Amino acid sequence: MAIAKAERLMNLALCLLGTRRPLSKRELRESIEAYVEAFQSGGAAGSDDSFNRMFERDKDDLRELGLVIETVENLDGDVGYLARRDSNRLPPITIDAEEAAALGLAAKVWQQARLAGAASGALQKLRAAGLPEDADPYGAHSALEPRIPVHEASFEPLMLACRDRRPVTFDYRKATAARPEQRHVEPWALECWRGHWYLAGWDRDRGAERVFRLSRITGKVRARAGKYTAEVPDVVTVRETVASWAGESADRTARIRLRKGAGYPLRAKAAAVRELGDGWDELEIPYGHGLDAWLVEFGPDVVVIEPAELRADVVDRLRAVAKG
Amino acid sequence: MASNAIDQTRRMLSLVTYLRERPGAHVEDVARAFGITPDELISDLDVLPLCGTSFRGGDLLDIDTDGDRIWWHNPDDVAAPLRLAADEATALLVAARAVATLPGLRESDRLALLRATAKLETAAGEAAGASARLSVTFESEGGVFADVDRAISERRRLWIRYYSPARDEVTEREIDPIRLVSVGHTYVEAWCRRSEARRTFRLDRVAEIKILDEPSAPPQVELRDLSEGLVQPAAEDPEVVVEVGPGGRWVAEYYPHDSAEELPDGGLRITLRTPEPASLRRLALRLGGDGRIVSPVQLAESARQAAREALAAYADDQDGGDRPYGGQYDEDQAYDRQEQGR
Repeated sequence: MAIAKAERLMNLALCLLGTRRPLSKRELRESIEAYVEAFQSGGAAGSDDSFNRMFERDKDDLRELGLVIETVENLDGDVGYLARRDSNRLPPITIDAEEAAALGLAAKVWQQARLAGAASGALQKLRAAGLPEDADPYGAHSALEPRIPVHEASFEPLMLACRDRRPVTFDYRKATAARPEQRHVEPWALECWRGHWYLAGWDRDRGAERVFRLSRITGKVRARAGKYTAEVPDVVTVRETVASWAGESADRTARIRLRKGAGYPLRAKAAAVRELGDGWDELEIPYGHGLDAWLVEFGPDVVVIEPAELRADVVDRLRAVAKG
Repeated sequence: MASNAIDQTRRMLSLVTYLRERPGAHVEDVARAFGITPDELISDLDVLPLCGTSFRGGDLLDIDTDGDRIWWHNPDDVAAPLRLAADEATALLVAARAVATLPGLRESDRLALLRATAKLETAAGEAAGASARLSVTFESEGGVFADVDRAISERRRLWIRYYSPARDEVTEREIDPIRLVSVGHTYVEAWCRRSEARRTFRLDRVAEIKILDEPSAPPQVELRDLSEGLVQPAAEDPEVVVEVGPGGRWVAEYYPHDSAEELPDGGLRITLRTPEPASLRRLALRLGGDGRIVSPVQLAESARQAAREALAAYADDQDGGDRPYGGQYDEDQAYDRQEQGR
């Protein structure tokens, strides 16, 4: 049976961390059991290529774990590798028990495999560096469970693209469009709001900033070569944009009649409520995009008084439903 | 949780550092400190003696265990604490910042989180840079959250007035809170004394809350794993079929469903299950011209009936003819299962 990958990576990491001088690829290949076994001399032709591929992948994996691996060329032009201890050491960090408990809670928040693994990995590194352990793991904190949901397959490639500042392309279906359209985007930031993920970035085709909802990305996210063409702003405001889609940027006021006892969420948003005395109340509520659709949900318990435009929109929607 | 090779390597590197400081450490304690099962730890301990600290070989880690305690016979100085990777710093920092913004969180917890975050940013150095490219906001009602949190820690019963969107009504009930769960919105999972069953209540739908003097005594219930989401329709729930045009495709994003077939006009035929089909009358009304309920027919008819009744109040309006419909949705109105949680 082939030697497990974790054992191979561990040996490579320890060799690179343990050495004082750069080690050549050849030295590493001959001294790490997993490489020796897989690429014995006299093996299949092309085994150099496959060793090189495996070695490159292994180095990339270790770098993902945070290892700084230097590539050094000696006087003869030979390339060697090492992971210097001082550039790989965690700076001193002192965390008290209360702070440790807070971090313990934070480490459990991710429900996405890569970030969940990274969060527990971070906590383990801190533990190894002396992070206090939970005296009472079933204490007050267990009653609070924040969770970050990630259901979208496009999350991980976009997260990496944001991290590494790599342009991407993906097919995107707008809310009301039947078919997706290919978009070319320079990703800036990802934000989760009300349990949904959004991407903000520069849309190359439209030459403007755009916000995308990850659940509307269809198919694969592909990373593209090349640099960003637009400057990345210091502050990216995804939430404000999404809130305005959701009709939360109300700038006007509407007056409605609401049946007594009905429409609690409308009452909670109302600026003023007046009893009409005939089983109805009159409310003043903020009027922004999407209010018509929301009011229609309450069926015969809501009647719009003004503005006329809102009244007409609600009547149109009701007629469409009545026609069925 | 199954661990992949990357996570295992990361863990073993930290394990080596950790074990050097703790000769004779107990398997149980180490597993707990690393957030893994004792079996996972034992499988790490099986690998470590096959790993060497020098490229010359023959210098293998002499780590062994009798199943109870762990000994490292030739501790090596290779095991200094390692710097954080960019993803590690991001994962922990983004989560800590998100939790710190939860409205209603105890001030002492928030301060501890902020202190830890600042220290972590310093220790992570450059690796912390990319963490600004990811952010999460939890929505919560601060006042309600604080009362629920206090009731849980003091083990007291709560009285609430709660809004149920399915029936558009506010009802009073007494609940014994079990835990607070934030998944986008914040919910309290509780034992409802009125229905004698477990229920989940969304905090922004709590119209009023009071902490009662009676002690809270929820029966021992097994906590559900919420990784699949709070909304989990049951197989025996009645089926509803909705057909939407392109402007109603958002329904498939907000409602957990069994299937969504593409229709030739760019719309969808969505089949979903709900314990309370009447709650979907609201959806039918909201969809307007963008979709309709196909079955059950009584439900479709009740939506039409509600629309006709509502129109009666506008009988004096001029007929404005048909107008195009916007495809907007209100995120708050997404269906969920607070009332029906089981």
